[in-house]
Amino acid sequence: MKGSFRQSMAWLHTWSGLIVGWVLFSIFVTGTASYYRPDISRWMRPEFTRVEPVEAPALGAAAERAVAYLGTHAAQARTWFIGLPQPDKPVLDLFWRTRPGAPPGHVLLDPRTGTESSVRDTQGGDFLYRFHFELHMPPLWGRWVVGICAMIMLVALISGIVTHKRIFADFFTFRRGKAPRRSWLDAHNVTGVLALPFHLMITYTGIITLATFYMPWGVTAAYKGNAQAFFTEASWITTPRPPAKQAAPLAPIGPMVEQARAARSEPLERLMIVNPGDANATVVAVFEEPHGLSHEHPQIAFDGVSGAILEVRDGGLKPAAKTFTVMTGLHEGHFAGTMLRLLFFLCGIMGCAMIATGVVLWSLARLPKAGERPFLGLRLVQALNVGSIAGLPAAVAVYFLANRLLPVDLAGREEWEIRAFFGAWIVAALVPLARPQRRAWCEGLAAVSVLCLAVVAADILTIPDHPLRRAGGDPLFAWFDGAMLLLAGLFALAARKVLRYEAPKKAHKNEHERDRAAKPAPVPAAAQPARRPEPTHA
Amino acid sequence: MTPLVLAANLGLSFAALAALCLSLNRHHAEVFDRKAERAAVLRLRAFGWGAIALSFFIAGLWEGWAFGPVQWIGALTGAALGLVLLLSYRPRYVAPAALAALAASALPLAILAVAA
Repeated sequence: MKGSFRQSMAWLHTWSGLIVGWVLFSIFVTGTASYYRPDISRWMRPEFTRVEPVEAPALGAAAERAVAYLGTHAAQARTWFIGLPQPDKPVLDLFWRTRPGAPPGHVLLDPRTGTESSVRDTQGGDFLYRFHFELHMPPLWGRWVVGICAMIMLVALISGIVTHKRIFADFFTFRRGKAPRRSWLDAHNVTGVLALPFHLMITYTGIITLATFYMPWGVTAAYKGNAQAFFTEASWITTPRPPAKQAAPLAPIGPMVEQARAARSEPLERLMIVNPGDANATVVAVFEEPHGLSHEHPQIAFDGVSGAILEVRDGGLKPAAKTFTVMTGLHEGHFAGTMLRLLFFLCGIMGCAMIATGVVLWSLARLPKAGERPFLGLRLVQALNVGSIAGLPAAVAVYFLANRLLPVDLAGREEWEIRAFFGAWIVAALVPLARPQRRAWCEGLAAVSVLCLAVVAADILTIPDHPLRRAGGDPLFAWFDGAMLLLAGLFALAARKVLRYEAPKKAHKNEHERDRAAKPAPVPAAAQPARRPEPTHA
Repeated sequence: MTPLVLAANLGLSFAALAALCLSLNRHHAEVFDRKAERAAVLRLRAFGWGAIALSFFIAGLWEGWAFGPVQWIGALTGAALGLVLLLSYRPRYVAPAALAALAASALPLAILAVAA
């Protein structure tokens, strides 16, 4: 790490990007997919398409059924969470915690009968969503790893901007068919620069969403250790009430639901019942976000025994809290309609491409000269590149495939889907270690393409409601399969490119020399890597 | 309103970015096989930045100044991605596509103006 400021930044960009590149790639892929989390969840629970949505006036009765179920099955629990039926999830989603450490309870109920729903057991899009910020690790560990990676990503972004000298001159430049390092560098620059506002926004707001988790000391100091007071003031929760340690029956919940529905125009999303059966029981009704950039759920708290309204939390946030909720809202993009969501999704894909081209560039810049043997680190990086860039999409496809092919009544089905995901990923990451580099790329990319096609085939074969099998079937299946076909096509194209690739002829070299003579910028000309031992890029 | 405003802004952004892109010597040569004249460069740049500013105001006016900027940046990014791909695979089509995008953005704008 010596020489000019820009060279130092190039060094920083290279290494900060490499060490977290693969984890970041998986965070970006799963995060990008999470823009369509409700759709993925709905696709993975095909039984729901046959369930009639629950009308709003019937919500009270449905909530009563949920409370009745919890009263018999989770009487000892300290908190009950009742997800109310939504258009994309027309069931009661019950969740309860008995005490910290014990595994939480979770069940889906039919809102009309109160019996357990016969839907297949799956985490749906929630698995990808949680992987995005917890990596399927214990939550505390996962969030720390993701947070550190995101912070290093921010370092890589800023140092990348400093390193990239010709942002405006090369703004639109993507030279295909030149020396590989030139084309890959162009692809890396274009995907990075064109979506730079998105990359900066998503990385920064991503860290901010968990800021009080990473840096709790401000809250600790200002609220004298009482974090609950901060959460209340920031309107994340209603004022907590400790249990009175005196038994008292819970008032009927139907009237509370009616009262809540009458109070606001947004749909009710869930109920939270704290300390049920206690004299200080609290029922909190949580609404969907009002349309806006800011991520804030209005909440109404009821006294669980008398049924009287204790507290109403909706809007009126002070500037600091508002800034926070707007940042979270921007990150999640709940406000985005179809078109804008597609643009967010495209930006996410560009982020994935930026990271993928970045880690590939690292290995391209260190290819051994003719006659030299590749060093161990290079082999490892090359194999990890294939294992993540082709391996993760393959694993996601296997996850979808497992959802369709595993027996519906398999015990622990939800876990088996996730095991299939990780099993596929491990295989996809190990195989490239034993294969020649180019062969490994070709096989990996082709495998993703085949798996995506298999998802489409399995979908059509196992879903009687598929629009291709029954006129008037749910169009969701067709859309999902269309997206899978598109991905299959893209990965097949990429595999074909790797297979057919030939290094450009020497004639290109002269062109590069001319280019360099005309504009003496310190961009490493790809055609002459041997002359520059420490490239400023890649 | 949103899809109309977004469609208008995508077209406008595409035309604006294509103009800025064609004001650069390298891309001008790729598309037209000759260097750009100084006056043409200035005209293209003025149009490009002007259209980007216009699209910002359109987004702000119809979507409000909270959603507007988000949508404006989204449209710019989406249009830029399309432009770079077109420039790389079919450079000859860039100029006609930019004119078509500009014309196409007029329709949603007209609908919006009539409705307003």
